[in-house]
Amino acid sequence: MLSIRGLVRCSALLGLVLFAGAAVASDNKIALIPGGPHPYFKPWEQAAADAKKDFGIAAVDFKVPSDWKLNLQTELIESLVAQGYKGFGIFPGDAVGINSTLSELKGNGIPSIALAGCAQDPTDAAFCLGTDVYRSAYLGTKELIKAMGGKGNVVHLAGLLVDPNTTLRVKAVETAVAESNGAVKLLQTVADTDSQEAADQKINALLAAQKDEIGGMIATGYIPSVVASKSLRTLGDKRIKFIGIDDDPIVLDAIKDGFVSGTMAQNPYGQGYIAAYVLDLLASGTCTVKADAPWIKTPQTTRFIDSGTLVINTANLTSYKDDLKKVTGDIQSKFKTTYLTCK
Amino acid sequence: MTDEAMSEMSARRRFGLGGVPAQFGLAIIIAAFWAVFAWRAPGFLSPFNLFSVGRALAVDIVIGFAQMAALATGGMNLSVGSIGVCAVMTGGYLMQTLALPVPVAIFGALGLGAALGWLNGFVIARSGVSAFIITLASANLYSGAMLILTKAVPLNSLPMEVGAFGKMKIAGLVSPLLVIALAVGLVLFVFYRHSVLGRQILAAGANARAAKMSGVPVDRVITISHALSGLLAATAGMMVVAHLGAAMPAVGGEDWLLPSFLGPVLGGTPLSGGAVAVAGTMLGALLVTTIRSGLLVLQIGNYWLQLYLGVILLLAVLVDRYRALYQERRGIPMR
Repeated sequence: MLSIRGLVRCSALLGLVLFAGAAVASDNKIALIPGGPHPYFKPWEQAAADAKKDFGIAAVDFKVPSDWKLNLQTELIESLVAQGYKGFGIFPGDAVGINSTLSELKGNGIPSIALAGCAQDPTDAAFCLGTDVYRSAYLGTKELIKAMGGKGNVVHLAGLLVDPNTTLRVKAVETAVAESNGAVKLLQTVADTDSQEAADQKINALLAAQKDEIGGMIATGYIPSVVASKSLRTLGDKRIKFIGIDDDPIVLDAIKDGFVSGTMAQNPYGQGYIAAYVLDLLASGTCTVKADAPWIKTPQTTRFIDSGTLVINTANLTSYKDDLKKVTGDIQSKFKTTYLTCK
Repeated sequence: MTDEAMSEMSARRRFGLGGVPAQFGLAIIIAAFWAVFAWRAPGFLSPFNLFSVGRALAVDIVIGFAQMAALATGGMNLSVGSIGVCAVMTGGYLMQTLALPVPVAIFGALGLGAALGWLNGFVIARSGVSAFIITLASANLYSGAMLILTKAVPLNSLPMEVGAFGKMKIAGLVSPLLVIALAVGLVLFVFYRHSVLGRQILAAGANARAAKMSGVPVDRVITISHALSGLLAATAGMMVVAHLGAAMPAVGGEDWLLPSFLGPVLGGTPLSGGAVAVAGTMLGALLVTTIRSGLLVLQIGNYWLQLYLGVILLLAVLVDRYRALYQERRGIPMR
């Protein structure tokens, strides 16, 4: 006959088993892989940890290639496949070059999502989740023109020329400027400012030479955004209006002190969090991607989802994180019904 | 230098210290790494990983051969990666934009690689300036010209068979690219060991003055060696095209520099020229690829990898220096 103590032990064991089952709902191992080390991707680490906990995934890991080189990224992915990872959220080290790896992943039954940057079609990535860079740059330029009082000369501080997103951003800035009907002129596009050294040299040289001609600047890369914020503070110049990108503390402090008009927030946390959730569903085989979902078409891909963007300025400086979390929650809660077909 | 002297010298060089073949120790080290990685990282021997390692190894071997061809003359080729990427984009342009048949496009890309290498060799031989300076300059020249002409736009609509070849698996495990690399190695082995030109290259690398006095056209063999180096770099470039199924301006370049030296130097090719180690270059590349893959599968490789590779190259150079001193003390003919 079962004693009271035995009953308690059995109950405890059963409880433990049930708890373990509830704690890890899936045995999938998911990896989120940026193209290389960059502060933009830091929120992916927290997103991975939160997604693991919230959705009961066995492992969601943030793995960073040691350098921005496609071969290092593909070697890392291949090594993770060898370790049994079943789903990948990848910022393509190269929009074209990553495709052969994505096809091989698909060939091995492993789903992948292009994250924060898209792979060039035709691609075997399930879809691309990221900032609509064209929209972000367009809205940012509009915000800048508003801050400049609708007239003056603009300089665009752009990222790497070889990055297809740079081409889109350049077009977006040109379009927004053109819509001013000649009141605003694009003075210069300073490209390849996506490294600290290059950004320092180019932006400081630009300000030294043409400070008086410039009415406003927009940065569409993380590093030029930070460097320009610092430079404007050093100059003590509040006449030149500036719209940055992302929420580095240096940029946020410059907004608070009036040296920067605003910055375009992206949603890297949401990208990582939603990607882990969706990859788990795809890797489990319970869901597939809908062909006729309301995808956004971009020059790179026909299956794009905007992870959200908003302007941070003095009005929402303290509350913008809550706004982004709301955006993330909205996308995640509707994702299954909008973009997936599930058993 | 007479053929007999060269035969004797190369026979002695094929062996390391104490009469043991120079590559034997390397093979033991590689076997030890494989055993450790297979034991500690279960995924290391998975078919997926073995195929990936084999494919990466194939490219590394040919990149190593490209550098080895220049080292044979006592020089070096810092433009290996730049020539590689020029061949990549030329091959892609011929296949995609001009829609030429794949073999013709490959032939064109290899021809360009050989021509750019020849240009390096020609300038080195005529100017007398060191290969280091000339190829450092040409590396930037070739890369810059490629970026201007292509506007850094990748070509990703190549014929399907190109990408399919890169993904092909022989017996479910072996990449055909690896077979190509081994075939290239075999051809090079025969070339350096059994052809007059190959032996002339080694003689010029060992002692240019003595070779010249023996009737070896030193300037010509230096030019030919660099053309060969360019041809091999272009071959590696076309292998990358097959792997990626696309022609991208971001491949090659400086990324190839370290692996190009690691393979031959670890394998026993002296930096001072006069000898090559074809099998050693393959083993050297295998060691590097093994360590790279093993560290990644063990999840300790991400940031430590570059450090390990740097340490390994440094050790290989020190061993090379020690080997030279040892030969000098024992009276073994030096270059």
